[in-house]
Amino acid sequence: MTIYIDNKPYEAKAGKNLLEACLAAGINLPYFCWHPSLGSVGACRQCAVKVFKDEKDTQGRLVMSCMEGVRDGVRIGVEEATAKAFREQVIEWMMTNHPHDCPVCDEGGSCHLQDMTVMTGHDYRRYHYKKRTYKNQYLGPLINHEMNRCIQCYRCVRYYHDYAGGDDLNVFAAHNHVYFGRDKDGVLQSPFSGNLAEVCPTGVFTDKTLKEHYTRKWDLTMAPSVCTHCSVGCNITAGERYGKLRCVVNRYNEEVNGYFLCDRGRFGYEFVNSENRVTQPLIRGRMSEAVSEEELMHELSVLLSQQKLVGIGSARASLESNFALRQLVGAGNFYAGISETEAYLTRLIVQVMQEGTLHSASLKDIEQADAVIVLGEDVWNTAPMMALAVRQAAMKTAANNAAAQLSLPAWHDAAIKELVQTDKGFLANITVAGSPIDNIAQVTVHAVPDDIARLGFAVAHELSNTLPALANADEKLLQTARQIAAALQQSKHPVIVSGLSCVNSAVIRAAFDIAAALNNTHWKASVAYVLPECNSMGLALMQAPSAERIFDSSNANDMTALILENDLYRYLPQATADAFFSRCSNVIALDSIHNNTTEKAQVLIPAATFAEADGSMVNYEGRTQHYYKVFIPKEGHIKESFHWLNSMRIAKNNRSNGHGLSLDELLHEAEIEMPVFEGVHDAMLSPHYSIHGEHIPREPHRYSGRTAMYANLNVSEQKPLQEEGESAFGFTMEGFKGQPPADAAPFFWSPGWNSGQSVTKYQQEPGGAFKGHIPAVQLFHDKVDKAPVFFKDIPEAFVARKQKWLVLPQYHVLASGELSSYTKALASLLPEACVVLSETDAALLGVRDGDKIRVHPGTTALPVKVHLSLANGVVLISAGLPGTEVYNWGDWVKIEKE
Amino acid sequence: MQSLTNRAKPVDRRPMNFMERMYLPAVLKGMSITFSHMFKKAPTVRYPDETRPFSPVFRGLHVLNRDEEGRERCTACGLCAVACPAEAITMEAAERKQGEENLYREEKYAAKYEINMLRCIFCGLCEEACPKDAIYLSETFAPSNFARKGFIYGKKDLLIPDPKTEAADLAKAKGTN
Ligand code: SF4
Ligand code: SF4
Ligand code: SF4
Ligand code: SF4
Ligand code: FES
Repeated sequence: MTIYIDNKPYEAKAGKNLLEACLAAGINLPYFCWHPSLGSVGACRQCAVKVFKDEKDTQGRLVMSCMEGVRDGVRIGVEEATAKAFREQVIEWMMTNHPHDCPVCDEGGSCHLQDMTVMTGHDYRRYHYKKRTYKNQYLGPLINHEMNRCIQCYRCVRYYHDYAGGDDLNVFAAHNHVYFGRDKDGVLQSPFSGNLAEVCPTGVFTDKTLKEHYTRKWDLTMAPSVCTHCSVGCNITAGERYGKLRCVVNRYNEEVNGYFLCDRGRFGYEFVNSENRVTQPLIRGRMSEAVSEEELMHELSVLLSQQKLVGIGSARASLESNFALRQLVGAGNFYAGISETEAYLTRLIVQVMQEGTLHSASLKDIEQADAVIVLGEDVWNTAPMMALAVRQAAMKTAANNAAAQLSLPAWHDAAIKELVQTDKGFLANITVAGSPIDNIAQVTVHAVPDDIARLGFAVAHELSNTLPALANADEKLLQTARQIAAALQQSKHPVIVSGLSCVNSAVIRAAFDIAAALNNTHWKASVAYVLPECNSMGLALMQAPSAERIFDSSNANDMTALILENDLYRYLPQATADAFFSRCSNVIALDSIHNNTTEKAQVLIPAATFAEADGSMVNYEGRTQHYYKVFIPKEGHIKESFHWLNSMRIAKNNRSNGHGLSLDELLHEAEIEMPVFEGVHDAMLSPHYSIHGEHIPREPHRYSGRTAMYANLNVSEQKPLQEEGESAFGFTMEGFKGQPPADAAPFFWSPGWNSGQSVTKYQQEPGGAFKGHIPAVQLFHDKVDKAPVFFKDIPEAFVARKQKWLVLPQYHVLASGELSSYTKALASLLPEACVVLSETDAALLGVRDGDKIRVHPGTTALPVKVHLSLANGVVLISAGLPGTEVYNWGDWVKIEKE
Repeated sequence: MQSLTNRAKPVDRRPMNFMERMYLPAVLKGMSITFSHMFKKAPTVRYPDETRPFSPVFRGLHVLNRDEEGRERCTACGLCAVACPAEAITMEAAERKQGEENLYREEKYAAKYEINMLRCIFCGLCEEACPKDAIYLSETFAPSNFARKGFIYGKKDLLIPDPKTEAADLAKAKGTN
């Protein structure tokens, strides 16, 4: 439809409000309380425009553009004198109580309030009286609180409470002293609290970890990157100055993380600056262990010529590095650094996804689902942003239903909330020990993995009676199955979420069966399988056997093992890992951080972290995403693993004048070698890419201090950093000054829009897709007319064994990935490791909360935590926390009281 | 050609007469001008013992200011650095801790603050940009130095003496003692 803004015609989408239409048309209209993900409430009164009845109407009426829907032919005036004066006045009111502290404020330079104030033209303060002041609260190590800066837009509460489901942040008091905070000082409980820093348009909530090494946005060197802390692969922008990674902020991606990140992703970056980094090549057992690169390469060329060379790939290293390792050691000697169980389960998932009978669900698909079944996966802890998406599915379905009733537009948040009250869309959360999303689920089941799978198969049977029914099932289970099946049958876009949490293949199979049974001729049901690490899927697609399989080969002795960015002690039980190392005569490890595995290495090679590297990763849904170097570390020895591996390949093949493969050459080679990866190079901006012959600068054009930053070290201005080979990005502020391609924008900025909200200028419409063609590199393709091959082997009902327990991992939301726990702020929030037992089992063993028990096989004694709804016969043991032991997950263990 | 001003004089091209060719009167005339200067006031001063007053808008070396209580005024906001056309200022911010209220005026302060005087063009934009009255261009200029390093001014070179504990130094620096 056409709308007229200041008498000019613009195309607008139906169902949007006027503010969205104006922003989509590229018009600068100030706003505060509206947010593309939160909708409108009309609280701030900043977005006023005039609406005219018709062409002849010159008077018009003042409306809040965020509260008025677009109508065909509607005429609005943004530049109208009254509207402008009104907007300027609103800002002036807000400013009466806003402190004059931009210089001190962390938000300064990327502040929506600053931008909007300048946009309205309010530039001089007339209010010279006392300002209202508040006491600030301690909100934990992640978020800083400075309440005086608040402009009462209510975004924080609407985000934290309504959107993310947190219940410990709210609005208090009344009049002109409303207060946004907790009822008392304390750590914010939601693992999505970091988004407050971006949602709040002012400096009330800011990133506390950034405070430790504060840098303005304009002083950061930034690059588009991808979170490496779980298999969701949220898009991030990371910033560096003086060789230290300073912060991580959200990088909008419509299909993946939208406007948000979880706290693990946002605050888990500090391991890059850790003192525990490997910075020097080391050869152990020498007089001086730190060696030069020549000595290292010399030593390596001897080691690499050994007969029994094996390579251990990594689920947290890039596709390029894994592939380079595979090429170096040979496909037959390349193993995945994960347990056999995990390898088996991921292979099963890959097989299911590659069949193409199901659609691989993105987070956006999950958010838009009208029924979600979480089958056995502890999403909250293993893929936090997916849990947030599941929550949105439940909330939005209810909202859509309500909106349809009264034909309310989707953006009308306040009205819809009023109508919805506590209604939720259908969510069945079936887990071993419950999860925080239980409270929005219609069906919650806590059961052991086999029974979860049985419930899944029962649902599949209800959906399609060609599938086998459960033998001797109890009535309660069947009833639940019928309830879930009924809800699924009514839904139009159901999504089934599952994964590895249960360490049980039947659960994965059951999830497939449910989804496949829902398929019909019009659409494919969607499924999402959560994996443990950021590139688990990429590694799985390489089809390498697990590290445990090395023992199968008869001459697995005196091996020379090359271990890529992997702490084997995190994936294998200690005894297995020890056994592995005892069979190695030489261990070469490439890693960024010292850990138990690097301790065992005779040769240790410093690898770059995500911030210092280029690379591609495949997320849980098969989406390949590329991340770019933010900076080149000052410790000149740190290099991307694939660089090291390429040099080794040259050294090994004695190609004296051979040159290393560049990134895109490596990817092309991978695509030829392994056709599953076809097209992955599209995920990255070609290194030869330039705009009018210019790089995309990683630094904003206001970057300061260039001639002074390192002047204390050397007065001559330093040569700007230069990557080996070509790159689309430059390390300085020079280069292309216009808007870079949205998916490869090192940071979001637009004239007059300094804060992250400038992303609107890169989108076709607020909250929509990016402008321009963005290649989505999906490695799983929906295949039409492919009949699913159902799984029919249903496991027996679980029977608790005598004196034996089924052991399962219990991850923590801030630390299921390996690297985030090396971050100080997050580490301080991690709980103590414990063993969770059912009430009956605890009584049986004669233990109470806090008593120590020992698990066999295993070495450490752990405190007990009694769980009221956990099934008997299962123990959950904390996993992924620093120093926690790895058990044979999904196996049987003995327990003994200390 | 028409002259631009009406002060142009036609050149006298007559040959010189005898007196003129002797040059003596011209030499004497010149000498008299030279000797007359011996009795006039010298325009130079005996620098460095003596200095000339600067114009009130002279822009010399920077100082970082303190407030009356001796607290550093700079809050490391970075505005001077972003304003600097020579990119000659760099800093690192730090949070004021409890008990440091007597040292720093604001919650944030510059843990490191450096100006590369070799790059600085003494334009004064930093002074203009500063919202905290923290940086001023003073009336001195950079002394010569044997090493280029000496031109990288850190906080200890820039901060003015504390009016409370180093009042004498401050007075001396201001030249008011
Ligand atoms: S704290 Fe921030 S988000 Fe919350 S009401 Fe105030 S300004 Fe808005
Ligand atoms: S940890 Fe996972 S959910 Fe959290 S930001 Fe990173 S990729 Fe996203
Ligand atoms: S005087 Fe000008 S050139 Fe010198 S530091 Fe200040 S802003 Fe930069
Ligand atoms: S000198 Fe002034 S402008 Fe520069 S950082 Fe300090 S307070 Fe900001
Ligand atoms: S954005 Fe429209 S009233 Fe706040």
